Amino acid sequence: MILYIFSIMLLIFLAPLMPSFMKMVKMYLLYKKPISIFQGYRDFSKLLSKEIIISKETSAITRIAPFLVLSPLLLTLFFLPPIVSGEYYVSFVDAFTITGLISLSTFFLMLLGLDSASSFGGLGSSREAFISALVEPAMILTLFSVSMMAKNLGIGQAGINLSLHFPSAHIASFIFAGISFFILLIAENGRIPVDNPETHLELTMVHEAMILDLSGFYLLLIESAGSVKFIIFASIFVSLFVPFGLNLPIVLAILVFIAKLFILAIAVALLEVNMAKLRLFKVPNLLGIAIVFAFLSLITFYVLGA
Amino acid sequence: MFIFDKLSILFVFLIMLGVVPNLFYSFGYLPHIKRKIHYLVHYFGFIASMLGVVVAGNALVFLLFWELMSLTSWQLILTEIEDKSTIKAARFYFFMTHFGFVFLLLFFLIVTNGNLEIDFNSMKIIASDFAYPTLLFFFAVLGLLSKAGVVPMHVWLPYAHPAAPSPVSALMSGVMLKVAIYGLFRFLFDILSNWQLEWGVLILILGAISSLVGVLYALSEHDIKALLANHSIENIGIILLGFGMGMIFLSLKLPTLSAFAFMAALFHSFNHMSFKSLLFMGAGSVLHQTKTKNMEKYGGLIKAMPITAFTFLLASISISALPPTNGFLSEWMIFQSLLGSASIDNISLKLAIPFSVFALALTGGLAIACFVKVFGITFLGLHRSTNAKHAHEVNMMMKIGMILMSLVVVSLMLFTPFYMKLFDGITSQLLHVSIYNKIFPNIWSMHSISDNGGIVSPLILLAGLIVLTLSIYAIYKSLNIKHRVYHTWACGYNTSAKTQYSATGFAGPIRRFFTWLYVPDEHFEKEVIAGHKTKFKDASFSVHVRPLFERSLYQSSVRWTNKMSYYVYRLAHFEQSRYAAMIFNILLSVLFSYRIFVHEFSWATLALESVVMIISIKVLLIGDKK
Repeated sequence: MILYIFSIMLLIFLAPLMPSFMKMVKMYLLYKKPISIFQGYRDFSKLLSKEIIISKETSAITRIAPFLVLSPLLLTLFFLPPIVSGEYYVSFVDAFTITGLISLSTFFLMLLGLDSASSFGGLGSSREAFISALVEPAMILTLFSVSMMAKNLGIGQAGINLSLHFPSAHIASFIFAGISFFILLIAENGRIPVDNPETHLELTMVHEAMILDLSGFYLLLIESAGSVKFIIFASIFVSLFVPFGLNLPIVLAILVFIAKLFILAIAVALLEVNMAKLRLFKVPNLLGIAIVFAFLSLITFYVLGA
Repeated sequence: MFIFDKLSILFVFLIMLGVVPNLFYSFGYLPHIKRKIHYLVHYFGFIASMLGVVVAGNALVFLLFWELMSLTSWQLILTEIEDKSTIKAARFYFFMTHFGFVFLLLFFLIVTNGNLEIDFNSMKIIASDFAYPTLLFFFAVLGLLSKAGVVPMHVWLPYAHPAAPSPVSALMSGVMLKVAIYGLFRFLFDILSNWQLEWGVLILILGAISSLVGVLYALSEHDIKALLANHSIENIGIILLGFGMGMIFLSLKLPTLSAFAFMAALFHSFNHMSFKSLLFMGAGSVLHQTKTKNMEKYGGLIKAMPITAFTFLLASISISALPPTNGFLSEWMIFQSLLGSASIDNISLKLAIPFSVFALALTGGLAIACFVKVFGITFLGLHRSTNAKHAHEVNMMMKIGMILMSLVVVSLMLFTPFYMKLFDGITSQLLHVSIYNKIFPNIWSMHSISDNGGIVSPLILLAGLIVLTLSIYAIYKSLNIKHRVYHTWACGYNTSAKTQYSATGFAGPIRRFFTWLYVPDEHFEKEVIAGHKTKFKDASFSVHVRPLFERSLYQSSVRWTNKMSYYVYRLAHFEQSRYAAMIFNILLSVLFSYRIFVHEFSWATLALESVVMIISIKVLLIGDKK
């Protein structure tokens, strides 16, 4: 139980680091002077001390929704796979519930975009609705396929099962599911081929457009939700698709887990540096690839047993 | 004459849950209805006839109440008769519902051998002796599902629901469609016994298509009640996905999985009843205040109508299948039963069912998009019309109706084990397996039946969400942060009602992606300044989506009938001898086809008789070339 609480604390501690780390890597690769890895914390403390400006056009939703954007994601942190063997993990919540919780957070985020009566907010919400509607089937199918290989739909148990019995007999469908999930990780977190987190140009922005009117503590909640969401996806990815190192001694296992997270962050940063943002109407092609890989994974599992 | 077994009682319970809040709402709504007596008579007649259908014990009573249900709801649609479109919608509904009735009548005539007063058990014996059970199944499906609004017989819903007064739409969509689902349970379990595997597959396919088609047309809709009607099509599709999986599992002799799927279907029926009634009530309140069904004229209503808005929000979250609401739980159960397909041996079926998973998941994603659109455009932002500006909260009775219905939604969310116990009673009656203890070993967590199925804990999720939200809120309060109210930052531009996103614009990306399905008629007009293409002072954009099924299946059949009758008319040409010749030819073809298709078939007679027919048509009808 102590380990369980520690791992949640660790994830919360790591959450603001990841986006800053990715930005650092990107800046380094672009020969810019990199920002500090602790930039996330600096932003956090700065936003904490700022006053909140609320638009006069907004309603109660703006005062409620930021809390409801963050809390489902924080709740999800409790349901993630264990990072050390023997650690307590939640067995009473399955993968579908986790996708549901993430959608709940997105739902309120989209409402937030429509609340301030600004055209940017509506633009962001509309695009986010479009993208997340297409993410949903790929996500469910990938989880379906993984649950088959892991012999369980609960994410915690699946992580343990995969680390104990790596599905080397089903390596093809495992890899297909992994590719699909990686695309979803990028799409759901608004990383570059789908959305550019650093721009504020109306042609390109999705996530930033929805939160353009927020400030102070509310913005802090939404920014934290963004980083928590990334850490959720990253830790699910490394626990399910790179299921190694769980059985090492405790300290080593935790270090290996952190290392895996950072390697994933580097992979995402490399992808971001090397790719341009897709046009909004090209994004379905990318998500279509994810859906096709998820189907392929299921079909190879069923037909070939590979 | 009447039966009161568990299935009937359950559906009586469903109807009562839907009706009681609706009564309050309806009395609040009454001052705005001109023909009060007409409305009340048919309203209560409608409720009584729905109750009559679910407790009917023989075919005659069933058909009587079924027809009464159709006629009273038809008259209820005609309540606000001043509107031209109402009459058209009512006529369409009248046609569709009787289209279904014909098949029900045929079904009953066959399974009762013409004696309509025998009970279901005797019908079962007759039906099991009937040589073509699939024909009976098709009659039942056409009869019941045209009432339930399943693709391709869903076309009347987006016309009938907007035309009816809102309490009636709530009843029709929330409760009447479930009566058709009741019929499906009753007919398939109590009358048709030897099921084929293909029946379940057919229901599954119909469900998958309905759910997708429903939600896609809902997205393109900006009449709020037509949008909700399209969502009814979607939800009936989801119910049928569960039902179809249940039938498939039962045909494959997997009774526990089957019971789970049927329970999922029943649970979703209850959930859809609750949230769809609530949504229609909310839409009715909005409509009543703003005097329009067009969503583009709403906006900012949450400030004036908080109770309507928050009950509507609850229903929106629930219908979008977001945890921890009841809508999520039933959709979760349906997902789990689809995932149970992993234990099927038939490989082609096993490969096909992931496509239903895909359809259901895509439906879920699009439903979220759609309800963000409905809630966001209707209740958030700035008011888009003067009526929306002067809107205020509806009267007490209507508020009570909405609050009671939201309590029903909350009760379905909190007391899931209780409802599951009820549904378990049904499945143990129908399938003789009881799985309640496997689903709920304790009341906290809900288990799936399939091999590597999942677990969900609705109450823990709800508690966790509440605790986390409140603790973040407590942190926020303890920090004592200053607030300042200012105008919206729109990058230096003014914010006005016209610069916000519209419902049409919100659905824009999705409409563009599915443009092959929608085939929208787009009209874009602008008044340019001094010949500059990009500078204009006034512009209007309108888009109209014509439903594919209506266009292809209904309008084209009308067009073909017209064409055919034109040729017949040309042949006959008002000459008595031609008419006589035509009658003679039709008689001949009937006799010949009876001989060929019913009596005995041989290629030689087919060829001979075709030659005779052709000569007779040529000589008698067409005549010499002029």
